[in-house]
Amino acid sequence: MSAPVPAVPSAAAAAAPVPAAPVLSVQDLKAYYRTRYFGVTRDVRAVDGVSFEVRAGEIYGLAGESSSGKTTLIKAIAGAIRPPLEVVGGTMTFSFLPGSPGLHRASPAEVAGIRWRHLSYIMQGSMNVLNPVRRVKHSFDDFAFRHMGLARSAFWAEVEAHLARVDLDPSVLAAYPHELSGGMRQRVTIALATLCRPEFVIADEPTTALDVLVQKTVLGMIRSVQREIGSSLLFVTHDMGVHAALTDRLAIMYAGRLAEEGRTAEIFARPRHPYTRHLVGSLPRIGDASERKSLDGTPPNLADPPPGCRFHPRCPLAMDVCRREQPAMIADGPDHRVACFAVHPQSEGHP
Amino acid sequence: MSGALIELVNVRKSFTRGGLLSHRRVQAVDDVSFRIAADDPVIFTIIGESGSGKSTLARMILNITPPTSGSIVFRGRDLSTIRGGADRTAFMAAVQPIFQNPFEAFNPLKRLDHYLHVTARRFTGAKGQAVEQRTDEVLRQVGLSLAEVRGRFPHELSGGQLQRVAIARALVSRPALIVADEPVSMVDASLRMAIVNLFRGLRDDLGISIVYITHDLATAYYISDELMIMQKGKVVEAGAARPILSDPQHPYSRQLKDAVLSPALAGARDGANGGSDARPFHAS
Repeated sequence: MSAPVPAVPSAAAAAAPVPAAPVLSVQDLKAYYRTRYFGVTRDVRAVDGVSFEVRAGEIYGLAGESSSGKTTLIKAIAGAIRPPLEVVGGTMTFSFLPGSPGLHRASPAEVAGIRWRHLSYIMQGSMNVLNPVRRVKHSFDDFAFRHMGLARSAFWAEVEAHLARVDLDPSVLAAYPHELSGGMRQRVTIALATLCRPEFVIADEPTTALDVLVQKTVLGMIRSVQREIGSSLLFVTHDMGVHAALTDRLAIMYAGRLAEEGRTAEIFARPRHPYTRHLVGSLPRIGDASERKSLDGTPPNLADPPPGCRFHPRCPLAMDVCRREQPAMIADGPDHRVACFAVHPQSEGHP
Repeated sequence: MSGALIELVNVRKSFTRGGLLSHRRVQAVDDVSFRIAADDPVIFTIIGESGSGKSTLARMILNITPPTSGSIVFRGRDLSTIRGGADRTAFMAAVQPIFQNPFEAFNPLKRLDHYLHVTARRFTGAKGQAVEQRTDEVLRQVGLSLAEVRGRFPHELSGGQLQRVAIARALVSRPALIVADEPVSMVDASLRMAIVNLFRGLRDDLGISIVYITHDLATAYYISDELMIMQKGKVVEAGAARPILSDPQHPYSRQLKDAVLSPALAGARDGANGGSDARPFHAS
């Protein structure tokens, strides 16, 4: 039942004008941490009914606090499913893997052909990607050489040209990871992730561990490389400032579900969901020392989430219906969806 | 001019790196002086990147490491003259730390109320019922209660709650000064402002001065009274917080301010100018 791996398009084709179809389409994804003790099944519903699309050539931001399920979501998308995590329902369709419900159903050989070539990652801890006891060039060799289909000399010429895009000297290839600064290491992982010009790149808090000045440089490089190779980027971070500066569209995740999705500028200018409003409204800004309200309570325990809307225990607008039913994501203006009964009273009755 | 709560005069700290052959001295803190007045509680912010020496400075204020030269005087007493258990305990009661990562600050195998009880017994001399009373009191000051925390292990609480417990623990001994080293960088966005507002409350309601170490200029603007920007161990700019952050003079301070990713950037693209050039990141 496995779909054939599509032929590897040439670099020129990958840079061609983008098709209208989304690169990734996630439908009603449910990924639970499922444990069974003595016949009793216990679920931690980390991702519970999430749907969204990432379009070709865009940077799609995913915001949410820790334990909101954003890491589980990207694990599911990347097919990095290890027990107790299970994909319980839903599909994740990639443009380069038509007909497949997602990488979690692909064979190891298929996954090996897709990773780095079509889908790659930029991680938070660059040391987790680069082998600490081998020189950087071996990492390029291990990850990318077999995907490039180039002769050795042409491959290394391409690597060096690509390193120049992130402002790195070819001499870093001979260095061990610990000899590089945090910013340089993160640039190496960006080069590594984008060398094969993949259609889809997942960036998981790639700049959280970096200093503010370095963060700005690295974000700028991610942006320029993404433009140059025409990839789609799923950018995950809890830092709303990074989203404001970098992403095209933004989804806000709360307790395993999407609360709101829209164009980044729209989310910041006119947030609809009470949680988004709080996130945007509580950001401190230089030049404005007015009182910032904090949100009472804590994010819910995903093993036992509250019934109805998961935000209702902390929500200033909570109504009776919020305690009983889950709000659906409903369109609110062009390119904007929100899941809230206070915004859409008519959504009552929908599951 | 009233007395100083704490005064640093020409404080330097250098570390030696390398072995016999590649001997190198690194100036982690280079000639830093500042004072916090005793009668007027303030939030004194130290801003800098990693490697700017701000954490080394914090460790010296906490008397964990001695300065290589210069003096640190707390309530008229030079920290280098503090010898012996009783003096040390009295100093620790008056100057308390809060660390960056609340998950690392607590032993994962010990219950949280244990920490608070031990601190109460050690610093306030309380016994029996009084220990629990003091513990409950400080937990209520940070918006928790002993009933919520009793018997819980660190992993059972969220990062924000845990950081509140860390603040409560620091309050047990009724300190005059709290040194908070990046206290909100590990805390989630929705809880961050709760912690920052809590610091304001400590200053305004309990009269505690706070040395707030951070690289986040936006929260610094929100809560600081005074501010010091450090680069490679040196102070490049210091003074009243808001004027400095509104209009920094030193090139490094300006660079830091320019690197702040403000939420206002989101509107830049759809703004009147149009095009993505208004945003900071565009293909070269």
